[in-house]
Amino acid sequence: MSTLTPFDTQISAIAEEVFAAMIDGEPGHLVALPDGAPLTDPVYAWVDMHAGVTGRALLATDVATAHDLARALLQMGADEPVGEADLVDAFGEVANVVGGNLKALLPVQGTLTLPQVGRERPDLSGATQVDAVALMWRGQPLDITVWQI
Amino acid sequence: MTLAPDTFTFVADLVRQRSAIQLEAGKEYLVESRLLPLARDAKAGSVDAYVRALRGVPQQREYDRVVEALTTNETSWFRDVSPFKALTDHVVPELLGARPGTSSLRIWSAACSTGQEAYTIGMSLLDSAPNLRVQITATDLSEEVLTRGRSGRYSQLEVNRGLPAPMLVKHFTRVGTDWEISQRLRSQVTFSKNNLLHAPPVGGPYDVVFLRNVLIYFDLATKRDVLRRVRGVVRPGGFLFLGAAETTIGIDDGWERIPVGRSSVYRLNARRAA
Amino acid sequence: MRALVIDDSRAMRRIVSGILAGIGYETAEAGDGRQALDLLEAGETFDLACIDWNMPVMNGLEFVVAVRANRAWRDMTMMMVTTESEHGQIVRALAAGAHEYLIKPFTPDAIRDKLELLGLVPQADLIEEPV
Repeated sequence: MSTLTPFDTQISAIAEEVFAAMIDGEPGHLVALPDGAPLTDPVYAWVDMHAGVTGRALLATDVATAHDLARALLQMGADEPVGEADLVDAFGEVANVVGGNLKALLPVQGTLTLPQVGRERPDLSGATQVDAVALMWRGQPLDITVWQI
Repeated sequence: MTLAPDTFTFVADLVRQRSAIQLEAGKEYLVESRLLPLARDAKAGSVDAYVRALRGVPQQREYDRVVEALTTNETSWFRDVSPFKALTDHVVPELLGARPGTSSLRIWSAACSTGQEAYTIGMSLLDSAPNLRVQITATDLSEEVLTRGRSGRYSQLEVNRGLPAPMLVKHFTRVGTDWEISQRLRSQVTFSKNNLLHAPPVGGPYDVVFLRNVLIYFDLATKRDVLRRVRGVVRPGGFLFLGAAETTIGIDDGWERIPVGRSSVYRLNARRAA
Repeated sequence: MRALVIDDSRAMRRIVSGILAGIGYETAEAGDGRQALDLLEAGETFDLACIDWNMPVMNGLEFVVAVRANRAWRDMTMMMVTTESEHGQIVRALAAGAHEYLIKPFTPDAIRDKLELLGLVPQADLIEEPV
């Protein structure tokens, strides 16, 4: 059975491009956070990559940060309330774009599932963590992990 | 956030001395946005603070970075589209018709930035005239962009900028998160450092020169000087491409304007060159 | 000029529609390939379709194939706008009949550049903008 090789620094490179191009309109707002920071009110978004081996790209951030992400993506005002559907749509799309770009780095061409979003961390028992990247977007933690499942 | 007037004046003077590019009043936002990443790198609290520190302890390398940040333009592949069609459909057939038996062309891509224009010329000619030997000299002020151009590697965001998808799949391969242009195209392009205020690069005489969206930054006297120097390295009957907002008319009368489609090219007068 | 923006993400539809509106397009939206086909079958016509790949019900590639199979829709230019970014996927989409391919993430300028290549920028908007 083949195994997933760590993506390593390519994860933050991809995430930085995604945020600079589609969310912030300029680079510099998503930065690496060497020691990470705990999430207090987490929400998760993930996509699975099937390419000989099955991998999962899992993004996690706090709900308040996901609201800010949705406001930025949906071009809403700073105080506009964000509905659950908008949160799911926006955070899911970020996971989709990050996951799709990661999938393209795999040696075998594969497929991508539609994104899923939830307040509970998806069950990863039996899965192996391949990568863990701690990032900070506009001062708030955002984690990306990659799993072989 | 507003830029202090003396910050702007200092930066505008520096850029004019080094590159002859005029940053007129009203371009404060440009200085602010282009220098912000440098200020962040230097851990300065603002662009004003960054420039103040720079003025206190002059550093040539940092001055170069400021000039590069303000003179490097974002660049796309088939920028404006029509010049490249004019090249393949009009200019190259005319050059080959005028000199039967010609099997090679020399082209200068001036102010080439990271090389997209030079490679676009290469791809266009490879597809339209595969047997033609093409040698492209690509020049810029900045060593940093030349190094990137030489590598022939571009990020996903860069290949998204005006590169037709059929050409992407034909001439590029994926290398990690980047795309790399073929060895064949890379071997056609020589990147070298050149300042348009000084002597033109070796590699001529040229059949075609691309000098697009550069003259707009210069005052009239500098435009005239640059065009005169370019004229010195173009073959009689050779062609010059300028940006859509630029012309030789009223500046240098050595060129004849030839409308092609929606754009224009300029042909070096044979009379002058003879 | 009219454009149809097909993406299962409302955020993404809004981004693409907003950019196209800024260039002078009137836009309509569909959440998957099937909804988009419904609009075409109802007789709506578009100069351009921007098409995501991974969508529920009917994906973007299936939509391209369906459009190509109907001569009445052959004047519509199709551009994939997707995170699928392998060399092989781009080749597949072009072979199926897509005219252009834009990889997510993209900047607003990238959409404009692609439309210029396709000759789909309304003429009044084609003005060179010096820095």
